[in-house]
Amino acid sequence: MTMGTETVNSLLQIVQVSHSFGGLHVLRGVDFGVPAGSITGLIGPNGAGKSTLFNIISGFLPPQRGTVRFDGRDITRDPVQTRTRAGLVRTFQTPKVFGKLSVRENLMIGCYRHLASGVVGNMLRSRSSRVEMELMNAQAAEAGERFGLSEVMERPAGQVTAGMQRLVELARGYVSRPRLLMLDEPSSGLNSTEIGQLRELLQRLNREGITILLVSHDMHLVDVASRVYVLCFGSIIASGAMAQIKQDEQVRQAYLGV
Amino acid sequence: MSPLRRALVWGIPLLVWAALPFVATRHIVDLLVFAGLYTIAGLGVAFLLGQCGIVSLAQSVFYGIGAYCTAWFCAHKGLPSPVGVAAGIALSTGIAAMVGWPILRLSGHFLALATLALGIIGQVLFLEWDWLTGGTLGIGGIPRIAPFGFAFDTPLRFYFLVWPIALLLLVLHHNLLHSRNGLALRAMRDSPEAAAVLGLDIHKLKVQMFVLSAALGSAAGSLFAHYVTFVSVDSFAIDRAISFLLLAVLGGVYTVWGPVLGALFITVLPQWLSRLGDIHAFVFAAALIAAVILLPEGFGGAIRNWWRARAAK
Amino acid sequence: MSLSLLLQSVLSGLTNGFVYGLVGLGLASIFRGTRIINAMQGDFALIGGITAVLLLERFGWPMAPAFAAAVAVGGIAGWLMEVLLIRPLRRRGGSEDSYLLLTLGVAFAVSALVLYAVGRDSHPLPGLGGEGIVVIGDAAIRTHALWLIAISLAAMAALRLFFAKTALGLSMMAAALDAEGALTTGINVPLMRTLTFELGGLVGGLAGVLVGPLVTVYFDMGLLLTLKGFAAAILGGLANPMGAIAGGVTLGLLESLAIVTVSSGYKDVIAMAILIVIMIAMPNGLLGRRLRKGG
Repeated sequence: MTMGTETVNSLLQIVQVSHSFGGLHVLRGVDFGVPAGSITGLIGPNGAGKSTLFNIISGFLPPQRGTVRFDGRDITRDPVQTRTRAGLVRTFQTPKVFGKLSVRENLMIGCYRHLASGVVGNMLRSRSSRVEMELMNAQAAEAGERFGLSEVMERPAGQVTAGMQRLVELARGYVSRPRLLMLDEPSSGLNSTEIGQLRELLQRLNREGITILLVSHDMHLVDVASRVYVLCFGSIIASGAMAQIKQDEQVRQAYLGV
Repeated sequence: MSPLRRALVWGIPLLVWAALPFVATRHIVDLLVFAGLYTIAGLGVAFLLGQCGIVSLAQSVFYGIGAYCTAWFCAHKGLPSPVGVAAGIALSTGIAAMVGWPILRLSGHFLALATLALGIIGQVLFLEWDWLTGGTLGIGGIPRIAPFGFAFDTPLRFYFLVWPIALLLLVLHHNLLHSRNGLALRAMRDSPEAAAVLGLDIHKLKVQMFVLSAALGSAAGSLFAHYVTFVSVDSFAIDRAISFLLLAVLGGVYTVWGPVLGALFITVLPQWLSRLGDIHAFVFAAALIAAVILLPEGFGGAIRNWWRARAAK
Repeated sequence: MSLSLLLQSVLSGLTNGFVYGLVGLGLASIFRGTRIINAMQGDFALIGGITAVLLLERFGWPMAPAFAAAVAVGGIAGWLMEVLLIRPLRRRGGSEDSYLLLTLGVAFAVSALVLYAVGRDSHPLPGLGGEGIVVIGDAAIRTHALWLIAISLAAMAALRLFFAKTALGLSMMAAALDAEGALTTGINVPLMRTLTFELGGLVGGLAGVLVGPLVTVYFDMGLLLTLKGFAAAILGGLANPMGAIAGGVTLGLLESLAIVTVSSGYKDVIAMAILIVIMIAMPNGLLGRRLRKGG
């Protein structure tokens, strides 16, 4: 079972990342790569360090050791905004939507980083400002349809169901034209039908060229990944296709204590 | 809304506004001019609070800078009024950018108290640097705004100068709110974390808003100087900053025309209370407390909610 | 700079520092107990000071009862504020900004009320030990100032004991750390919050009667005291009220040294600049305890 650290075409590369909280070693020399255009899964038992790793990759936590490379560039010390602008977008286990803004406005905000009108231009309602607003509206509408949100576009995002909020967060990420979409437990709070729909959605997004890194407890969802890494007690203990992983001895021990 | 209705909704207040100074006493018109000046300065504080969640007690400093720049360039140097206004705005925005950059990384209480500290620093410096500001003796002889020989030298004339400017600024503010950056501000206010994840540069936006707010304060200060022709440090102390904050909160920071209501309140009320002596400061403070507890969206917000509830029936 | 000037400056800085520390102590205590930054903490001092002035001058009370009553009035003011103003706001779901605006409003209200009631004059208060001074080397310090320092230290020790050893103090700490948990153990959390404000008011009132004899009592003394007390509290680490005293002393000394190097008119500018620098550079205080920025 290879650890797959030298994947050619890695959009995202994690190199020897280690982190501890106090005396607790949460991550120990983690190495892995996410190939461009793939769906990659990251699984592991609770407390394995998945959230910490996600936070490090997305910029919410600087690692004590190791580097994160995105598209060849070292982004280890970059702030969250910089990573987002480079095309690395993440979602959260509890969807972080703008509760008081409508769903439509949530989607519109996803376009923000691509547009450039200044404050003064906005105040004067310059031509570029107006064109931008139309563009944002159009993209929001398109994303809303694609993600099945058309009916709730005008409702405050804080007032739709949890499942829909997750879709809003996803759609908002999609609108920002990400290169890598990192999904943190996207299936939590969804029933099996919705998980099935999410699965299809992810496959469609991937076909459009978006690389996906997926953390999930749900084996049915992780199944869409072409490659899965198993994180246990801070180290990658296995990687490969789902079928292989399921047969792996160490993985079975980690999950089942067998 | 039908064209006729629209014409009435906008036209009638416009007519009232235009006719008012001709039927009111000179004293009332004078108060209304101040209401206009405070609307402009208060707008700066209002959108900072409403859109960015920043409590600013530093507006009096920029108000003073605008006034003193006008005093310097127009009274001392005899230059035309646009120079004073421009100088004031340049200096105020420069200081706002320099000071704002570090302190706007602070949040919540720290930031509010930092702006209060700034207000006090400004107040003391205005007093200590009397070679610049004339200290308590002040600077007088500030010329009127007089383009092409038409001098805005009476309350009536100034009324028709200050209010169109104020209304124009309110319109610009409205445009900003409904633009991409306005949306970003609201998102930022709603969930800073989610905003960061989306690539919004929160800090830069806050600095931009702070600079804008300072520009408004400075413009108001310059106009103020041209109106009263004499400025001294007493006008730029912390209680001025408090008045601006008060009018913003009272008028409501979530509606575009809230500052107008707040400004009218704080100029008109002392009139009614003058019989009771120096009590208006206390009444203002009590009004602020009442507004915070009972009317968190201010008069403007309360009216808007009432209007919406009516429309829903 | 001569040694005697330095010594004098240190003594006055120390004295002021303890006042700032007391105000900061009250601020930090209220913050720890309710997560509210009380922007009118300095006005508790005003309330205490002006009460003492009125009792002494208008009602002819003797000094000790007047001072004691003044401190008590500070506590009552704290109690009233929590019950009449903070609770309604809490019920209506106040945001962080609104609590700040509320306490700011009360600060202005108190100041305005005092202005209306007694005017703009400064009102002196008699000091403990009268006008006596103590000579240390080439410098002199008022006896009252020594009393001030002693009482401040005693107050700090008393509070520490109170929070650590008494049932009430422990309950207040518990309610502050985990309101829901405290409720389930039968602690009356709303009452604890009220008591926290009362305590803040008492400490503030004490600061007022202690500082009054040194700087006189005047209607707008509150704001500056609050800001300096806030600086003291941050320096000491907002989570640690006892640190406020150390923070206050540091601030007082820095301020004093600045005065002798620059001019005294800039005293407040320097203090305010120090406050801003502290907030930016050391939000966790000198001891650097882990703490959320800005509250």
